[in-house]
Amino acid sequence: MVSLDASELTTRELNTRIKELATNGTEKITITNPAARHNIAVGILTECELEIDGSVGYYVATLLDGPRITINGNAGWALGENMMSGSISLSKSAGASVAASMRGGDMFVGGNAGARAGIGMKGGTLLIGGDSGFLTGFMMQKGRIIVVGDVGDAAGDSMYEGTIFCGGEIGSLGADSKIEESTEDELIEIWNLLEERGISERPHFKKIVSQKTLYHYDEQERHERPLI
Amino acid sequence: MCGIAGIMYKNSGSTKSAPIGDELVKMLETMVHRGHDSAGVTVAGEANDSDLLIRIWADDSAPATDTVARTEETIRRAGGTINSSELRGQFLRITANYEGDIPPLAEALLNEPGVVLHSIGEVSEVIKDVGTPLVMDQHHEISKLTGTHGVGHVRMATESVVDISHAHPFWAYPFTDVTVVHNGQLTNYHGMKREYEGRGYHFQTGNDSELIAVYLADKLNDGTSLNDALTESLDDLDGTFTYLVSTKDGMGYAKDRWSAKPLVAMETDDVVALASEEVALRSVFTEELDRTEPQEHEVMTWSA
Repeated sequence: MVSLDASELTTRELNTRIKELATNGTEKITITNPAARHNIAVGILTECELEIDGSVGYYVATLLDGPRITINGNAGWALGENMMSGSISLSKSAGASVAASMRGGDMFVGGNAGARAGIGMKGGTLLIGGDSGFLTGFMMQKGRIIVVGDVGDAAGDSMYEGTIFCGGEIGSLGADSKIEESTEDELIEIWNLLEERGISERPHFKKIVSQKTLYHYDEQERHERPLI
Repeated sequence: MCGIAGIMYKNSGSTKSAPIGDELVKMLETMVHRGHDSAGVTVAGEANDSDLLIRIWADDSAPATDTVARTEETIRRAGGTINSSELRGQFLRITANYEGDIPPLAEALLNEPGVVLHSIGEVSEVIKDVGTPLVMDQHHEISKLTGTHGVGHVRMATESVVDISHAHPFWAYPFTDVTVVHNGQLTNYHGMKREYEGRGYHFQTGNDSELIAVYLADKLNDGTSLNDALTESLDDLDGTFTYLVSTKDGMGYAKDRWSAKPLVAMETDDVVALASEEVALRSVFTEELDRTEPQEHEVMTWSA
């Protein structure tokens, strides 16, 4: 187990050190005194276990492929952006754009998430223990967002594919999204996830998906269509 | 992009000795990545024996000493007496006793060649300059200023030029002690500006953020409360914005309907602190803290 004191390192030094330790197979890396700084744990493509003891700023734990990261505190904007695989667990709340462009793996936000949670998601699962903000799942393409609490206005706006499960109230639906009944299998799977996270609520999640009326990818261009 | 910060000590009314200047500089310096063109602060709730604190930048259209002389003469002609007059480079700080109305005094000052009026306040002053917060502090000794509350700004110009007048905060002329700092862009700036100019309002710059100060001044002039003015701005202003306003005895924020620009807020029994990013709060409050992130289409005000 190696501990790094962020207050003694520049961000570049910190990230370089994390990558070195991960590549060398260090079992666990702990970062202390992050002091809400930005860009901690960026671009780590090796599996490792990383714990950040304190709140972090923007773009933390982004561009990851493999690491399992725990953060004890709040996060700023764009936590976990473009995660390819691995897991991120945030104990408290995340700012806007959490899990932006996420492609795989699992993210968990213990508290609330800000606006545009899961914007442009392309895979993986984002689980939010509290509420999620305005434009949740905006332009989502694939993947799953599960919100135990309420979801704000314009939920699922301009979704292509993907699913948002809401356990509480939905402020309003966004452009081209609609509500569907969750299947029993879906509910059971989600409840198991909640159980794993020690969340006791078992709401009957509503499912938000795309209506696909603004969605014309299977249509031919005008000049491609036959004249007759 | 821009970064904003605000801080208010709830119980320092009588002592007025909270280190507002120092803490604003610290908060702003941590957000220099959000903008390093210019920086500015409003330090408010200062202990002040005079009626008015006047802050002027003497621009290059006239020699500074000449502008100072004409400024002092203008104040006297309006019936004021000068208690102190300090010129630091091209920055003039005057304290004066004056019992008349502010608009005619401000009008007279604005008409003087070389005068760019940064603020007239009873208990607050605007200090703004090009450069980073640390550079600004070196030039203007902001970290020595104490008071009860204040707001600050670091600038990354996106809509208008970089110069001293285009820096924030903007004073809501002619309301003493009402100043604004803004992160974002206003898209209905030109139309609204033309309307306000048609009604006799002054714009000293081409900065879209100045519109917020004029908008609030107009609302306050109509007798609208600050809280209501902030609320109405959410629908009247188009564009992206999180802005902070400092007043004689407090401060407030407004967040646009898109939640496009960030804000974190921390409140304890003793203090309220606001900033674009938590890392700014941590420069003053070094331990792990509880903070909230205000949501879209939201306003809040605090007063002592």
